[in-house]
Amino acid sequence: MTTNPTVIEARDIVKIYPNGVCANNGVNLSVTKGEIHALVGENGAGKTTLMKVLYGLERPTSGQIFVRGVPVHISNPQVAIKLGIGMVHQNFMLVPSFTIAENVVLNTEPRRGIAVDMAKAIAQTRALAEQYGLSVVPEAEVSSVPVGMRQRVEILKALYRGADIFILDEPTAVLTPGETRDLFAAIRNLVHQGKTVIFITHKLREVKEISDRVTVMRDAKVIGTVNTSEADERMLARMMVGREVFMVVNKPPVRRGKPVLEVRNLDYVSETGKAVLQHVTFNVYAGEILGIAGVEGNGQTELAEVLTGLRSAAGGTISVDGKLILTGDPRRVREAGVAHIPEDRLTNGAAVTASISDNLVVDRYYRVPFNRNGLLQPDKITQNANALIQRFDIVTSNSDNPLQSLSGGNMQKVIVAREFSSQPRLLIAAQPTRGVDVGAIEFIHQQLIDKRSDGLAILLISADLQEVLKLSDRLMVMYNGQIVAIFRDPSAVAEDELGLYMLGSKRQTEQEMESQQ
Amino acid sequence: MTAAAPTTSPMASPSPRRRLTQIVAALVGVLLAFAVSFVLTVHVVAAGITGSESISKALSSPNFNNIFGFNVLVGLALLLFIIQTGWGALRVLLTVIAALIIGFIIMLIISKDPFKAYNALLTGPLSRSNRWGSWIEDAMGLTLVGLAITLVFRAQLFSLGAEGQIALGAMAAGLVALFVPPLPLGVHIALAVLAACVVGFLWGLIPGVLRAYLNANELVSTLMLNPIAALIYSYILDRIRPANAGYSVSDPLTAALWPRIITGTRITTAIFFVIAAVFVVWLIIQRTPLGYEIRMIGANIRFARYGGINTKRTIVLAMVVSGILAGLTGAYLALAIQQKLVLAISGGLAFEGVVVALLARNKPLAVPAMALLYSYLRVGGPIMQTDATVSLEVVRVIQSIIILLFTAEGLVAFLQERRALRRQPLTEQDASRVAEGAIIQP
Repeated sequence: MTTNPTVIEARDIVKIYPNGVCANNGVNLSVTKGEIHALVGENGAGKTTLMKVLYGLERPTSGQIFVRGVPVHISNPQVAIKLGIGMVHQNFMLVPSFTIAENVVLNTEPRRGIAVDMAKAIAQTRALAEQYGLSVVPEAEVSSVPVGMRQRVEILKALYRGADIFILDEPTAVLTPGETRDLFAAIRNLVHQGKTVIFITHKLREVKEISDRVTVMRDAKVIGTVNTSEADERMLARMMVGREVFMVVNKPPVRRGKPVLEVRNLDYVSETGKAVLQHVTFNVYAGEILGIAGVEGNGQTELAEVLTGLRSAAGGTISVDGKLILTGDPRRVREAGVAHIPEDRLTNGAAVTASISDNLVVDRYYRVPFNRNGLLQPDKITQNANALIQRFDIVTSNSDNPLQSLSGGNMQKVIVAREFSSQPRLLIAAQPTRGVDVGAIEFIHQQLIDKRSDGLAILLISADLQEVLKLSDRLMVMYNGQIVAIFRDPSAVAEDELGLYMLGSKRQTEQEMESQQ
Repeated sequence: MTAAAPTTSPMASPSPRRRLTQIVAALVGVLLAFAVSFVLTVHVVAAGITGSESISKALSSPNFNNIFGFNVLVGLALLLFIIQTGWGALRVLLTVIAALIIGFIIMLIISKDPFKAYNALLTGPLSRSNRWGSWIEDAMGLTLVGLAITLVFRAQLFSLGAEGQIALGAMAAGLVALFVPPLPLGVHIALAVLAACVVGFLWGLIPGVLRAYLNANELVSTLMLNPIAALIYSYILDRIRPANAGYSVSDPLTAALWPRIITGTRITTAIFFVIAAVFVVWLIIQRTPLGYEIRMIGANIRFARYGGINTKRTIVLAMVVSGILAGLTGAYLALAIQQKLVLAISGGLAFEGVVVALLARNKPLAVPAMALLYSYLRVGGPIMQTDATVSLEVVRVIQSIIILLFTAEGLVAFLQERRALRRQPLTEQDASRVAEGAIIQP
């Protein structure tokens, strides 16, 4: 690997934003041709700023960039593209109503006369896709294809423009495990054909799996670059966070109390008439974490949303502390003591253009002390925000800032802070650590366990099997809208066996499940 | 738009030093506003006279105090706008200048005496007290309807029903003035205004309920309700018009008229209603649970629902409160401006209100300044026509270009992004946009 020439190098990059934030402080990065170079670090460590500098979206305050040994000034993305640098953003930059082929050739369309030669565009897209093993349907409209394919379209777009250095900004954050596997295969394929890939992530498992070398950033500086084969997850985590990270959470034994949530024969039918939940019955007890495992799309999302009142059940009952709760009325559910960390934080869990303090009172603004005699009390709202910002270590300069000024991990902390501080009896946590960095994951996990040890009932829904197995006191498997298995002791369950239940090839009998309640 | 502007009031700053700076700036601003108001007032009252004579002439005028008072209000409205929008105010100023330059180029092409014509447009509203009066009257109406639009726009509801609400509000107020037996003036006005508000409420309730419970697009339903309101209005007007009237107009109203306080103008005590309305709408949006709900459904309706906000109720309430304000605007037109019921009493005022709301970035405290700015142009146009014999059509074209530029905030944003890419360091605004994840592309 070291015999290969350096293809892109950043030397002593300093980037200070005019508001005084130093996002890069003398950063050096050197990537050799044909390698997969992982760039890891916590949110706010400066990874994205560095990549923006390399792609011409930001100009460094000082420092130099060399591409293939030549010093360059990358003043805008056009220059970067000419230099063969392509970037796949976390939020895709595609025209949803265009076809895949149209998106790939956009702005550099093959022409026939004054018209776009669509047949040629499709043929070119297909040829490129085959050459690099990126399976797409060139004629399909982007809005109708899954996220994994959209990402491949982004890569094709860069390839079409002649890129041979690819910057992938947290590409797996939006992907399912299957799609991640496909992406990794595609990345390896790119590298086999002589391309170079810079891969930004904060999932250490992925670093180990895919990269040749890894550069760790923390606090706007590079902590070090190591060969992946010589590093383990624990060491990388320590480099990222700057202290020992306990990959194993400290979990006192469960002290199960009375049932808090009792769900009986819950049915839910989607708008399209599909029976998404069928006779779902289970309890969650005070002081336990009940995990739900399952392949995504088997009714977990809908279960959380029916339980929290965002959707109306078609049948069955839900009670909290013995009191029936109405479905379809989120406020009544919240007032019964239910908190909810929603799966998609930007869609349901937050209003990004509203201020942090406004985001932190959505469940309590109408009550004393925030509302007195029909008037909101801005001081109290600010106090609430400042207290939570401090307690949950949310990095921001002012609670009046809009939520979108925060990094992804801090946004998730805002939601966690609000939901934990409502003094709930039951917490429904859906994908609580999705897209969150290592330090924040550790923090959220510890919070969940602490609250559970204090007697909170927690229903944990996560697509991350490791997470469910690590945190749950009991485990439930959902398949096709039904509960197919319950395990009283998750640690005694083999992952392979769990897989069989998740894929529907095995299920427990009613009696078996009854015995595990 | 200042992307990083906090959504809560910028006056609620935690840093004491920043607060001190703000207080000093506000004091300087107030003093400046007073000084400018004084000069303006002298100019308006002593029209045509210059030099030291003008001051003594102006001071001896019986109207001086009231006109001065209103000019102070104008100054304070502008000050409020600057406090509300911060550097955004500078952006508005630049846009105004750009628009005026383009308008002037057109003027150079079509007018024999472009300087005279432009002078009429720019200084006309201040040349005589009656012209100054029409500016202030118009701005008061625009402020009311601008507030109505601001309320629904804050909730991301694109309701354009104010036109119909204004017509029916005017009718309700006019009917009370015409047919309710004589009452003490204050009571009679209150009753007429109340009737207008009730009608506006009902005419906002219909599209509100349709939107909230049947998911009917509010843009379509409100636009369709407008001609219905207009037809109801003309039907009733036809019934009540005096037999000898040649066209559709009611008897002049004699009761429940807002008292005029400056001779030679139609400026009335309704100003107190307007000031109160600005304050109340600000209070509702920023300081009440309903306002929080409106802001949250505007920011992300799914988040609002998730948080337990009754989104249907909030939609209906935003629409009816907006309807009440539009109805009040109608009462203002009937009782203060026209003092009778005439056909098409609103004359598209609601759509001008949309422009005002957009210019004010849906901030209630910025509405009066933008209404003043906009009505200045509305009043300047006809003056340009009479003083410089430029046809009204041309005037409308120039007005439209100016409005187009005002509302095209994309232009200035575009220029800022260009500059951000070319020059270092970035402005603070750009940096905070980047911090928000915005990708600045050339």
